[in-house]
Amino acid sequence: MSGSAMSTATTSPGGATAPPLNLPAPGARDRRRLSPAFGLAAPGTLFVVLALMGPLALMFRYSLNRFVPGQMMVEAVTLANYQKFFADSYYQEVLATTLWVSGLSTLLCLLAGFPVAYFLVRQASDKWKGRLLLLVILPLLMGNAVRTAAWMVILGDKGLFNAFIGLVGVSPVKLMYTPTAVVIGLVSVLLPFMIVTLQSVIEGIDANLEAAASSLGASHLTTLWRVVLPLALPGILAGTMLCFILSMNAYATPVLIGGPSFQMMAPAVYQQVAKAMNWPFGAALAFVLMAVTLVLTTTANILVQRRYRRWSE
Amino acid sequence: MSDVVLQSIVKRYDATTAVDNVSLTIRQGELVALLGPSGCGKTTTLRMVGGFIPVTEGRILVGGRDLTSLPPNKRNMGFGFQNYALFPHMSVGENVAFGLQMRKLPKADIAAKVKTALDRVKLSHLADRLPKQLSGGQQQRVALARALVIEPDVLLLDEPLSNLDAQLRNEMKLEIRSIQQQLGITTIFVTHDQDEALSVADRVVLMRAGRIEQMGAPDDLFERPASHFVAEFMGVTNLLAGTLESVGRFRLKSGEVVAVPVAGLSGDLALALRPERVILDGTDEALLANTLSAEVEFATYRGLVIDYRVRLPSGVTLIARRPSPAVGGPAPLSPGRAVRVSWQPEAGTLVPM
Repeated sequence: MSGSAMSTATTSPGGATAPPLNLPAPGARDRRRLSPAFGLAAPGTLFVVLALMGPLALMFRYSLNRFVPGQMMVEAVTLANYQKFFADSYYQEVLATTLWVSGLSTLLCLLAGFPVAYFLVRQASDKWKGRLLLLVILPLLMGNAVRTAAWMVILGDKGLFNAFIGLVGVSPVKLMYTPTAVVIGLVSVLLPFMIVTLQSVIEGIDANLEAAASSLGASHLTTLWRVVLPLALPGILAGTMLCFILSMNAYATPVLIGGPSFQMMAPAVYQQVAKAMNWPFGAALAFVLMAVTLVLTTTANILVQRRYRRWSE
Repeated sequence: MSDVVLQSIVKRYDATTAVDNVSLTIRQGELVALLGPSGCGKTTTLRMVGGFIPVTEGRILVGGRDLTSLPPNKRNMGFGFQNYALFPHMSVGENVAFGLQMRKLPKADIAAKVKTALDRVKLSHLADRLPKQLSGGQQQRVALARALVIEPDVLLLDEPLSNLDAQLRNEMKLEIRSIQQQLGITTIFVTHDQDEALSVADRVVLMRAGRIEQMGAPDDLFERPASHFVAEFMGVTNLLAGTLESVGRFRLKSGEVVAVPVAGLSGDLALALRPERVILDGTDEALLANTLSAEVEFATYRGLVIDYRVRLPSGVTLIARRPSPAVGGPAPLSPGRAVRVSWQPEAGTLVPM
């Protein structure tokens, strides 16, 4: 993504911005000024290249190295680490868990976030909209680990939740260190991203369109389904991708709430790099995770864009 | 029969009253224009009839049926929005078909009705286009077709012409009127443009600050304004404050005494005088009972006419409108020139302040 931003900046023609009083002489086409946007984009682009692409390239190189116990990393060019991933069903299960937990969390965020975002845009007064949005974002001001620790207090065997249902005579349930708890934790972390993304897109949908649908005989639900949802598709896509990517890479939540027997990819990468000191395999795992996430989000993007492009732009 | 009856409609928002006790009956097949400056409550009234804004007090009946608490989708009204509000993700045909799909008509019927509706607005050839590929006038036609295809009891139009350029506006005005009369559909038309209201409506309702200021046939409002506000809104630029001295004699605040038609009014009044009726350097003295001397202050060339602002010795200014030389009018007068200003007493109308 950063690569494409860079190429747009370098290839965009600067001639279009020439002030009318300063017309270029005939034949001066070749020496057109660079667009000012290029100058503005340059520092960010440079930073992305150095700070993100650099380490990424380095990690990719590591993933091709060989791991020798005792010696750690030995310079080599081998696909052994990737072969290990595809040969070992344990890591494939970790990836499968990561995928379904991320998919479910994202879906729940969408289902819970859309009504909230819609309410914020259409029902809340201007005065309250700002306050409610702030309330939505408030959890993000707290560290991820702190929030997750709070969930441990709530979901623990003798936690608040079990204490509460105990009051009404329900016997305690096992929540801590279950996938359910991880999904709950992830949804609570990701929901603000979904709501804020959807809110900004729904804000751009003309309320008169809903009034028009209603005057033509559509119920609230039909209006939502036939008018609001199709028009909110870009926001739904953006929010979904954001939440999915974040949960694919979630670390604190699965570690703290999922416990030792529950494995997702990001903790597994950390495990390899920091505990087993197996940098090459850790790097390979990271690249598998990245590739899977990239392929899924890109596919979703293409599928949605194909439907959307017809009438957008 | 679908007479539309508004019974003492009130709309209050916290401290402000947007619509204050509006009562109005629109007969079957009639086109009524709600006219007024922005903020007068005309759009709020229309939206309450459409069901988009809840009514604080009062009732709305169509054909004797009380619709006050029904949602828009249960009212069977066609609504035309100022910005057309076409669904951007649906083709022209899909936009028009939407209301019919909501009524669960068979596919073949829908296709036939969509075709008829688009034929009526001469757009059948664009059925597969998206709204953004159409011009403003075409979008307006699609919006009209979409509102009419559901065979609504009432057609509500909110400033339907305000987003069109002048020539197209005239064309659409005639088209809306002709379709409305063909179908005999009861219509409420909101506008801030008096010219639009006069030329399209059977009856004009002029609103001010949430209330009805005057309603009547277009010529009633234009020729017999009931108040200073109506006269001003109807384009009378000369409104001279004063009091009646005796029957037919009006004393302006600035001191001049002029002849006016006999009217059963008293107190603080204004003499409303259209600029077209003010004659500069008139020759037929017998017809011109009111003649004052004045000086041309400046002239505004407006193509077909020239507007002259003239100042009386007392400081009062009047606007006089004369045909321009382009349509055979007299030679222009230059500023500073002394003129005689006259008008026939019957040309003026007395209105309460």
